[in-house]
Amino acid sequence: MNRGTVLVAFALLGMDGAAFAADSAPGKALFERHCAVCHAAGPGHAGTMRLTEARGADKAVLEDRTDLDSAYIRVVVRQGLVEMPPWRRTEIDDAALQQIAAYLTRSRN
Amino acid sequence: MKQILPPGVSVGAFAEVLNDFRKIVGNDYVLTGDDLLSYADPYSIIADDETHAASAAVAPASTEQVQEIVRAANKHGVPLWPVSCGKNFGYGGASPRMAGTVVLDLKRMNRILEVSEADGYALVEPGVNYFDLYEHIQARGYKLWLDVPDPGWGSVVGNALDHGVGYTPYGDHFAMQCGMEVVLPNGELVRTGMGAMPGNTTWQLFKYGFGPYLDGMFSQSNFGIVTKMGIWLMPEPPGYRPYMISFQREEDLEQVVDILRPLKVGSVIQNAATIRSLLLVAAMNATRSQYTNKPGPLPDSTLRRIMADQDIGMWNIYGALYGPPPVMDTLWTVIRDSFAKVPGAKFYFVEDRKKPNDLLIGRADEMRGIPRMNEFSFINWTGGGGHIGFSPVSPIRGAEAMKQYTMVRDRLHEYGFDYLSIFAIGWRDLHHVVELLFDRRDPTIKRQAEEVFRVLVREAAAAGYGEYRTHLSFMDDIAATYGWNDNALLKLHQTIKDALDPKGILAPGKSGIWPARYRRSHP
Repeated sequence: MNRGTVLVAFALLGMDGAAFAADSAPGKALFERHCAVCHAAGPGHAGTMRLTEARGADKAVLEDRTDLDSAYIRVVVRQGLVEMPPWRRTEIDDAALQQIAAYLTRSRN
Repeated sequence: MKQILPPGVSVGAFAEVLNDFRKIVGNDYVLTGDDLLSYADPYSIIADDETHAASAAVAPASTEQVQEIVRAANKHGVPLWPVSCGKNFGYGGASPRMAGTVVLDLKRMNRILEVSEADGYALVEPGVNYFDLYEHIQARGYKLWLDVPDPGWGSVVGNALDHGVGYTPYGDHFAMQCGMEVVLPNGELVRTGMGAMPGNTTWQLFKYGFGPYLDGMFSQSNFGIVTKMGIWLMPEPPGYRPYMISFQREEDLEQVVDILRPLKVGSVIQNAATIRSLLLVAAMNATRSQYTNKPGPLPDSTLRRIMADQDIGMWNIYGALYGPPPVMDTLWTVIRDSFAKVPGAKFYFVEDRKKPNDLLIGRADEMRGIPRMNEFSFINWTGGGGHIGFSPVSPIRGAEAMKQYTMVRDRLHEYGFDYLSIFAIGWRDLHHVVELLFDRRDPTIKRQAEEVFRVLVREAAAAGYGEYRTHLSFMDDIAATYGWNDNALLKLHQTIKDALDPKGILAPGKSGIWPARYRRSHP
């Protein structure tokens, strides 16, 4: 289920934010497994440290950002971005990457 | 993405082999086109993107599939480059030595086949990384410790095979390897050591079996594909106390190393301790731009400011004590009293360190085998991501350490690069691992980095120092420095290569070993 479908489902069923949060749970778990070692908040995370310098503190923690979109996330993960290496499909398959992207672009309402 | 073919293989033959691979692993795991972007070495020092470009990747899920792929590759004369987790960054990542080689991606082979708490070992496939094995052991409550390198995302098998090091008493990873299963270049399957005996129960307990000990020839080589490997794990000790000792002057390195040698050789220092340079430690918490926006070597006044800001030394030992508390107390007394002879030496335990990302706090995990990624922060020092390891080996002698340090530092400064390094203490040797940082987006800086790297290799060899490991781009250069008696060792490697792999399909160029078909001219 992609994000657009989920949003339509909310509108039709009048679901609340808690149900949506549940849908992004697999992506959160995958983020924690593959990404958080470098991108979690706080010191000791190479990606967060780099983004603080390159983009500013308000853009440093990926889970807090609201400006990311799925296509951008997929390109960065598959091709890498400057300091970040690329991730192969044998490490994070397309379905898992889709879930991670869904989590990072989840609605915050 | 531009299609590259293996040398000497036609478009038709290549299409046929990819079809064969699809029949073996399924369509999803034969990767071509834009999927190959994630196999490129992101941190390559080479300005041109095609030098190490793969023609395709194939990802088997089992040993049987590896055998079938190898047989298909032989049939079509298509070269394969095995990678385990593909995280050997600074040395080439998941990309092949020779352009057009097909990457044999073993990441899907990620089974932990056995962990024995009583006997202290694990038997794993090459796709298992340190996080996987750590979580497996924790979930079962086994009182066993891993030995991990700085970044935990790498392969347990791959790191040992590339002679990687960690930081507990089990820090020499290949020394802790016991028993392998190997697919030979003709597709045949062998088990080494006791694994060759049907029904034997000591495959992961006794290395040597009967007859020649062959496991070493499958490390840093292209003689076989390791599909299972045993690794010894350390029983959790009754006590653990990590420490840091800082030294204030550059020239202290000589005295520090001379004090360290008898302590390490005599096992008073129990683990694979390290001496880390100022900027490598500083890079955990800071970046270069916080101190200067000028290129060139940092002046002494800035180095002193960094030392004061972070309460670190020009050199910093990170070590740990293991054992019952009275044993640790006694060992610490000897270690402390020995290094107290160095003027200005300062001693710390974890509770003495205050910064949240202080390196001793991170190393307190790593020296007890908890995998982390915090030390990957060092690539942020200059930004731009590019990094490559220059890793010459010397005796544990103060004068030799100083000679290497000044030689490398001066050359790096001449070419406009900072000096960041680790001296890792082996059983009888120092691995001087220098991290050369550069902006991967800047072709001019990459050319300078490549040039200074080649100068360093030549100068180190002229002084009698050889690298223990290197990036794809320099494998021929390093192999050439091991040229005693008219390249007798390289010739022996070639003889073995031709006997085991007559069609030259396995990892052409690995460690400078080229099969006959590419030996005279290779890309």
